[in-house]
Amino acid sequence: MLDPDPRVIANKRLLGVVPGKPGVGDRKEPAEEDTVMVWPNLLIRHAVTALVVIVIVVLIAAFFDAPLREIANPTNTPNPEKAPWYFAALQELLALFHPLVAGVLVPGAIILGLVALPYIDRNPSIDPRKRQIARTAFTVFMLLWIALTLIGFMFRGENWSWVWPWEEWHGEL
Amino acid sequence: MKTSERIRKSTIGRSFFRNPDRVTERDRAAGHWSNFLLHLYPVKVRKVEITFKYTAFLGVASVVLFGILTVTGIFLMFFYVPSPANAYGDVQTIQNQVAFGQFLRNSHRWAAHLMVLAVAAHLARVFYRGAYKPPKEFNWVIGVVLLVLTLLLSFTGYLLPWDQLAYWAVTVGTAMAAYVPLVGDQVQELLLGGPTVGAPTLLRFYVLHVAVLPVALVAVLTIHIWRWRKDSMLTMDSDQGDTDA
Amino acid sequence: MSDMSRRSFLSTAWKVSFGLLAAAGVITTWDLLKPTLAAGVDVIVKTVTPDAVPSAGVLEVPAARGYLVKVDEEEILALSEVCTHLGCRVPYIDESGQFDCPCHGSKFTREGDYIEGPAPRGMDEYGTEVVEGVIVIDTSDVIAGPAPGSERT
Repeated sequence: MLDPDPRVIANKRLLGVVPGKPGVGDRKEPAEEDTVMVWPNLLIRHAVTALVVIVIVVLIAAFFDAPLREIANPTNTPNPEKAPWYFAALQELLALFHPLVAGVLVPGAIILGLVALPYIDRNPSIDPRKRQIARTAFTVFMLLWIALTLIGFMFRGENWSWVWPWEEWHGEL
Repeated sequence: MKTSERIRKSTIGRSFFRNPDRVTERDRAAGHWSNFLLHLYPVKVRKVEITFKYTAFLGVASVVLFGILTVTGIFLMFFYVPSPANAYGDVQTIQNQVAFGQFLRNSHRWAAHLMVLAVAAHLARVFYRGAYKPPKEFNWVIGVVLLVLTLLLSFTGYLLPWDQLAYWAVTVGTAMAAYVPLVGDQVQELLLGGPTVGAPTLLRFYVLHVAVLPVALVAVLTIHIWRWRKDSMLTMDSDQGDTDA
Repeated sequence: MSDMSRRSFLSTAWKVSFGLLAAAGVITTWDLLKPTLAAGVDVIVKTVTPDAVPSAGVLEVPAARGYLVKVDEEEILALSEVCTHLGCRVPYIDESGQFDCPCHGSKFTREGDYIEGPAPRGMDEYGTEVVEGVIVIDTSDVIAGPAPGSERT
């Protein structure tokens, strides 16, 4: 950042050497014509988003009832027993591998991997063509996870055996 | 003079709003410094940021869903006692006897599922946009924390109806914790409050669900939004995605 | 200590104090939240006479969350119905003559030995004794199930 060899101008005292860039990062500021006022441009879009989201929730809630099964019974496990859908992929892994691997190491590795992602991927470009490795790796992981979620959610029936969702439906939300 | 303007210009109005109505750009910028909610926003953003393609507004959608969950959740709390003797019956009462109770419970449940979806989609969108790159790395980390908090909130809420679905999903979920090396058994015991899912577990999950986790989420979310605001004018390398610069 | 200035001593001291306070907070919270009562199933469960245990199939004992299984005239096992994998209740299937876990598909023989699936071992066993002609199960005495591939002895 600092100029390694500041030139002292004759008869002037050097008070300090400051970097000639904005304090936040070393990115260039956008040009004036590339920016817009938040009020009203962004605010109106956020307000519309809020309305759309609220309408979606109201419509779903008006037409679909939240499930409520029989009262909890510790002496009777339902068959099949399913985790919430967002853990269906984990449950599917739990049926395949030792619980230490599927229940602890895999989710731990995913969270740590996500946290560490910006420090692993040091490629500064955000051009899609220049970050194909990162994009491919992330896409493969995501598709794998979605596939496992769908299998655990829809394709598993009694005793966690394979079923076709159009023949037997066991998904629970 | 319009009524709204008269109110704004009265003594009380001026003390409350402090700024003139937003006619000029200068007024609009000034509004950000005098309005608490608006000060979470920057005054200006780059043009790409307001396009649907750039964000799909998934972050805002997550916040709105969290708001819906807070409101519906507070309504539900008025009718719900977290004990095995009451919980299931209370949920039935909410559905059958409370005015709009079924609708409230539906909204809470579906908004919770949608929030998990929206937060996950937000994460994916941010990845593909490359918005985790320096100097925004740490805001991505905060975002991952928010995803984990969202999942925990959803999972703790899952037990509360005390039905078969809830009981066994939580039995399996907490049994997973026991496999963590060294501390696993103690963590599971701490979560359950006993050897199996029972009355202490329900109470613990309830406290986590309505107090600990929401407060944590709001705190972390505030930092997340604040950092977004600070970085909102940064131009990333080849921002538009169509230049090779 | 002599080469430590007052400034650096104080600056270290407050950091260490905060660290200690945080550690104390964590330990206190942990202790506070630790369950004190052993809630759940009864510890000592009186069941039936050995003759009443069927020689085919199993006899469920809900109070102990387990099954009584007659291996032969001499030996009766008290198996825990809690799956060694993730705690689901393992039901006995009459048609196949074995235990099938509904959660993740682990399978066990009628004697609770591991057949297949993600469970790390066979079904756990409770200690039993015969008191006044009646089998008494002690659910606090859990004998871990046999490793996959081996049978209980």
